[in-house]
Amino acid sequence: MHIDRPVARRAVVDALPLFVPAVPFGLVIGLAISESGINTMVGWSSSWIIFGGAAQLTLISLLGAGTAVAAAVTAGLVVNARHLMYSAALAPTFQRQPRWFRWLGPYVLIDQLFALASVHLDDDPDVFRTYFLSAGLTFWSMWQVTTAIGLIIGPIVPESWNLEFAVPILFIGLLVLGLDRWPKVVAALVGAGVSYATAGLPNRGGLLVGALVGIMAGALAHRLRRD
Amino acid sequence: MTELLAVVVVGVGTYFSRSIFILSLARRRIPDSILVALQFVAPAVLASLVVALLIDDQGKVAVGIPELAAFLIGGVVAYRTRNHIWTLLAGMTGYWVIRAFF
Repeated sequence: MHIDRPVARRAVVDALPLFVPAVPFGLVIGLAISESGINTMVGWSSSWIIFGGAAQLTLISLLGAGTAVAAAVTAGLVVNARHLMYSAALAPTFQRQPRWFRWLGPYVLIDQLFALASVHLDDDPDVFRTYFLSAGLTFWSMWQVTTAIGLIIGPIVPESWNLEFAVPILFIGLLVLGLDRWPKVVAALVGAGVSYATAGLPNRGGLLVGALVGIMAGALAHRLRRD
Repeated sequence: MTELLAVVVVGVGTYFSRSIFILSLARRRIPDSILVALQFVAPAVLASLVVALLIDDQGKVAVGIPELAAFLIGGVVAYRTRNHIWTLLAGMTGYWVIRAFF
């Protein structure tokens, strides 16, 4: 296969700075795996089986905290539902691509790659494919390494530091970065409030109740503001 | 074994959500009501997750002044810097310092 080297190089150069903010995220996932009691290789395999930070951290931290597997899996799936929007947005561009790439491309479709790809939608199909795969492979390999480093650091850190508390802090950071409209604030506050009120439910089932009610509250607030 | 299965299920589901519209040849559109709801998935789930992770063995939310202060500090730093590194450093440092006093 012919590889357009300048295009591939530009993709890598574009991808690297976007990966920097994901470094602490990857490290925390590695730490979370080593603290969760889950088999290290099983935990790390999530980096290539799932390849999605929010879903990995959700699943691993919940399993480690003794949540029912079904609830942890559901939460992990729901947190990644935004990818449906990426898939829909890129679908027309992928229509011009060969079948193998239509199957392989979505595997590496993370937030950062979507951000990069969305400004290259009208590129020549061959150029787009090289760019997408080069950037995707960059993100993918950096992610495997970063989460592995977190796994190695994890057991070295003293227990008394309570480093597992980095997980909710990271979730707070992700939450705040996404709050660009008031209905989203409503969704977050209602979600947290309902989860708090239903905390006594077995196996942390309140998580899903809170998330569902929060989503409905956000959609309702969105509608009320528009009317 | 159960844990590996859980990872695989979430992996397959994640691939599905990334690929469904790219692989289905018809240019199907997502209904507007679903698009609206999707925007609120991340904030609602992340906020619920924070609460769920603080639940102790008795089913109570174990949150004290150090935790709340750390969330506040982390939240403000995230908002101001939009940077995970500073958020984590500030939040954890705040947590350690305030914990030493309570």
